[in-house]
Amino acid sequence: MTRKTVVRLLAATACGLALAAGVLHAAVGCDLNDPDRDVKRLFPGSTGYKTLYVSISKKGGDELLKKIEARLGDRFTGLFETADVPYTMYEVFKGDALIGYIHGVNQKGTYGGLQVFLALDPAGVIKAFYFQKLTSKAGQAFRDPAFGAQFVGLTLGDFYRYDVVSGKDEPDGRVGRIKNPVPAAETDFRAALRAAKKNLILVDEFLLANAHLKHFKG
Amino acid sequence: MKKLSIFEVAYKSLLRKKTRSLLTILGIAMAAWVLVSLFGFNRGYEASLNKDIDNLGFQMLIVAKGCPYEAATLMLKGGTGLKYMNESIAASVAAEPEVEGVTPMLMQVVFDPNKGESGGLAAYLGVDPVSFPKMKSALPFKAGGWFTEPEAAEAVFGYEAAELEQREVGDLYLIPEKEIEVKVVGILERTGTQDDGTIFLPIRTVQKIFGIRELTSIGIKVKHEADMKAFEDKLYKLPDVQVVSLSQVKTTIMTLVSTARVMVFSIALIAILIAMMGVINTVLMSVMERRQEIGILKSMGAMAGDIFRLVWIETIILCIGGGLIGTSLALLTARLTDVLVRGFLPYSPSGGLVAIDAGLVLMTLGVVTAIGLASGIYPSWKAARMRPLDTIRSEEES
Repeated sequence: MTRKTVVRLLAATACGLALAAGVLHAAVGCDLNDPDRDVKRLFPGSTGYKTLYVSISKKGGDELLKKIEARLGDRFTGLFETADVPYTMYEVFKGDALIGYIHGVNQKGTYGGLQVFLALDPAGVIKAFYFQKLTSKAGQAFRDPAFGAQFVGLTLGDFYRYDVVSGKDEPDGRVGRIKNPVPAAETDFRAALRAAKKNLILVDEFLLANAHLKHFKG
Repeated sequence: MKKLSIFEVAYKSLLRKKTRSLLTILGIAMAAWVLVSLFGFNRGYEASLNKDIDNLGFQMLIVAKGCPYEAATLMLKGGTGLKYMNESIAASVAAEPEVEGVTPMLMQVVFDPNKGESGGLAAYLGVDPVSFPKMKSALPFKAGGWFTEPEAAEAVFGYEAAELEQREVGDLYLIPEKEIEVKVVGILERTGTQDDGTIFLPIRTVQKIFGIRELTSIGIKVKHEADMKAFEDKLYKLPDVQVVSLSQVKTTIMTLVSTARVMVFSIALIAILIAMMGVINTVLMSVMERRQEIGILKSMGAMAGDIFRLVWIETIILCIGGGLIGTSLALLTARLTDVLVRGFLPYSPSGGLVAIDAGLVLMTLGVVTAIGLASGIYPSWKAARMRPLDTIRSEEES
């Protein structure tokens, strides 16, 4: 065995042992699988995009988390919905002009994690809704473009009227008109709506300078 | 009038030159401190390193020849290329004298059409609920624990797998393609290894779900005293298997530890020699200064043996005093030494780096006493053979 090999083996072992000791830590975020391709698909006229990495803990800590929970109407729960989750937000440009945003969030579903992505115009109006990841027996129905199309045109103002805990909207609410394609998968349907609302709140907080906060009645 | 024992006489003699005695004791204490700390570090470091290597679980992995045994490789190959071994191989490997334990594993991959936009792969590792947790005893749980039954429809998630799937203990998880529900019973802490992204199921459950009775790999834990290289060669004689081993890495680390041990011994030896010279010098100087006193003692009837014993006991008192102070210092500063050493080392294993036990303390005290006995021989002999008249006359002349 040459000296170089020994050094390499030792370095590899040291790395392995260091890794085994749990040196590296990071919460799982929600990135686009293929940003170049996905941005082009969601914003066909775009010429570029900028990626921003934000987290509740960095911007405002527990105080901000409580405000966001109040706006959502639900607590951030579980081991993996915490203030230190890194959010990846994409600002999309056509030339120098900002033409929209893309953002995805993780959400707990019945059988696994959901990754709900929204494409928004600069005012925060939904242009597209889709699941990047979905573990559900009703996966096919939820992935149908017809389901995602029901979200187009909605804003955070609409979602503020929707209660994510009871799953009820105000009588004339637009969110309440979104149809569940598989009634048996009610939990995943509600999870999708909660994810969309959480997504919009985070975009409002981190990118739109809380432009929709005026609609919040809490 | 109280009759003084020879120990009291020796003790009082040392007290007459307090500063010199104290400095000699401090010199010996330093040597004892270095000795205990170095040997403690050598022991602690080796033990911690061994523990870290053991905590990795098995040191060898047998896979069917050409099988992509790592999840990452499997994903790169699009989930294809899994090759299988007969279950009986695990039993035959376990019977080898070098083996402490084996754990059979079966990896399976399914295509999940709902993962990503165009689908993706999901991998599951079937593990033996008895031998795997035992071998991977260092795997800590964030929540829950291992499976409740050998064929339970249960899963244990690595930290990142759980984070990605947003699973918690008690949640359900759906195995795509098979549309089978399993219950999450445990979530592991983050380890920074492949285990973080793994979904573990009982091996019998995986065999039942996928209709396969064979294995994709066998993890082997080898006994400490076994020759890993020779055992590896022996395993290669099994038909159609390949061996993935940590033996080369472990051997290299242990060779380095042995080299470090030789260095530690050398430094300790130098420290002992310096201490010995210091003691001889101090006691010899003391003997020369007390020529007249020794002469008077002899003229009063003290025998050569009495003088020899007196000087020898003084030396031993100095050495034992230094030894006790040095070992106490080493014990008191062990934690500090640990922190300082960690600051200098590029990689430190987990656990205590400095291991000082009663055995090491007693050994050091024994070594220091032996130094005292050896160092005292020459000055004592020199004092014992002084002639009373010569010593008294030399004092008068001077």
